[in-house]
Amino acid sequence: MLVELWFKSIRLAAILAAIFVHGSLLAEPMSSGYDLVAGMTKASKESSYTGLVTYEYRGNLRSIKVSHIVRDGKTYERIVHMDGPEREVVRREDDSDCLRAADLLLGGRPIKIDDDNYAHLRDLYDFHIRGDARIAGRLVSMVQVIPKDSFRYGYVVAIDKQSGLMLQSVLMNHRGKPMERFQFIDVAIGASLDNVKWPQSLTTSDAVEEPSCQQDSTLSSTSAWESRWRPPGFVLSSYRPVGPGGRESLMYTDGLAVFSVFIDASERSRSLPDVEANLGATAVVLTKAKFNNRQYTVTVVGEIPHSTATRIAIGMTPTGRLPANP
Amino acid sequence: MSDYEDRLGESVSALMDGEATEFETHRILKEVGETSGARDSARDKWQRYQMASSVMTGEPVLKIDLSGAISAAIDLENAHRINPLTRHAGSAGRFAIAASVAMVAILGVQQLNNGGLENADAIQFAEVAVDEAMQNTGPALQFPSGFQPNIQARTVSVGGNNKTSRQPIVKTFEVRQPINKQFSEVELRSYLNDIMREHSSHAALNSSQGMLPFARVTMNSVAPEPE
Repeated sequence: MLVELWFKSIRLAAILAAIFVHGSLLAEPMSSGYDLVAGMTKASKESSYTGLVTYEYRGNLRSIKVSHIVRDGKTYERIVHMDGPEREVVRREDDSDCLRAADLLLGGRPIKIDDDNYAHLRDLYDFHIRGDARIAGRLVSMVQVIPKDSFRYGYVVAIDKQSGLMLQSVLMNHRGKPMERFQFIDVAIGASLDNVKWPQSLTTSDAVEEPSCQQDSTLSSTSAWESRWRPPGFVLSSYRPVGPGGRESLMYTDGLAVFSVFIDASERSRSLPDVEANLGATAVVLTKAKFNNRQYTVTVVGEIPHSTATRIAIGMTPTGRLPANP
Repeated sequence: MSDYEDRLGESVSALMDGEATEFETHRILKEVGETSGARDSARDKWQRYQMASSVMTGEPVLKIDLSGAISAAIDLENAHRINPLTRHAGSAGRFAIAASVAMVAILGVQQLNNGGLENADAIQFAEVAVDEAMQNTGPALQFPSGFQPNIQARTVSVGGNNKTSRQPIVKTFEVRQPINKQFSEVELRSYLNDIMREHSSHAALNSSQGMLPFARVTMNSVAPEPE
């Protein structure tokens, strides 16, 4: 009798303890490395910041000035190259709420690849918090992102504790060697930028981009091409039909890594040789494909391993929509 | 009397007193060796100074010129003189060697440049080559190459398998020697640049890095005009 009562009280205590522990977990959520990375994308879209960034690859160093200003639901972005030939890129987006494939993937929402498969970032990478550091004079959390297969690269990112912005991103190959590094050396974030004037007139060799919001649902594969093989988790995120340059492009992302496929039937591309090239962490594979007696140049460009790019290039095939031989 | 002869006279005087610098000594030896009919050659001057010196010190004055015979004898001997530069070998010497390796790399690349790649940006290539020279010393960070088209169709020496890194850059350039030139290097470069730019703007919209992918586009060779 006494023993039974004792057992009962133990059980009650255990239940209470469980509730208590669980409650404390709910009250004070531990942010995982994954949460930090997902939050980083949101922060980089929603907050205003301006700063100096260095880009380094294989002993080369470039510096750029970055401005990202969100005001009245509109986003203005500007990149100025601080060394080499004068060049700047300006981008305006009227719809800051536009969620693209990468945003959805990073936000933890699975994206439909085809009828049976959904892509989810956590199936593709492991996320580990690796302590604190200081970058651009600010306190950051270091997160290591390790791919679960060898089709993609890993990252070490530094995320600002206060704002959630990414202040450093290092691309790592499978042997753990850095291949390229973006790093802020100075950054101003938030309210202090409310009075920053956006230049009305543009100088020098500007490229202005006003991208339309291609959301996941609006992306119908109107291309006459499709990829028969791509690494698990990559979804079509953008499509550009044949332009004046004579090529169309399909773009894929797994949420972190990105590659583009260009299909070119133009005269200009026909004389080009097969090429494999690297620029920093970017692999370029250019190869030829022949369908219906017509020659096409297929180029895969992306921050992915060379072997992956080659397999993707070989796997590009036309759908039934390809125009017949003229 | 010219400036040069003036200075030569001073040098001869200095040599007499044992105060000539190494450079002065060399210059005098060279002048003495000259057998031109200069009005007041260094050799004459040297002889006159020697005579005056002998007279003052009370030595017998001999007007015998042994210099020709001595030069001939020296010419016959094997060279065993130590290069004065090697005396300074040490840390500076090592630096010089490193620098010369880099120089050789630059020269090598520029030669290839002249051979096969007109209009290509020499500086860009030189950077890659210098980088390669540094890589040999085993840096902590090993990145893949700069823009280095590895044209498969002509790959002879590289060995065929497509490892993303560890491709020796110098070899890549060797592969570039045009065998049949049906395409233009400039054309290829400009095409790849176009594609890189388009990819970057894609990537800027669809990766977690915001505008940063724009930094990847090569600046050195933006849109070279097609031939």
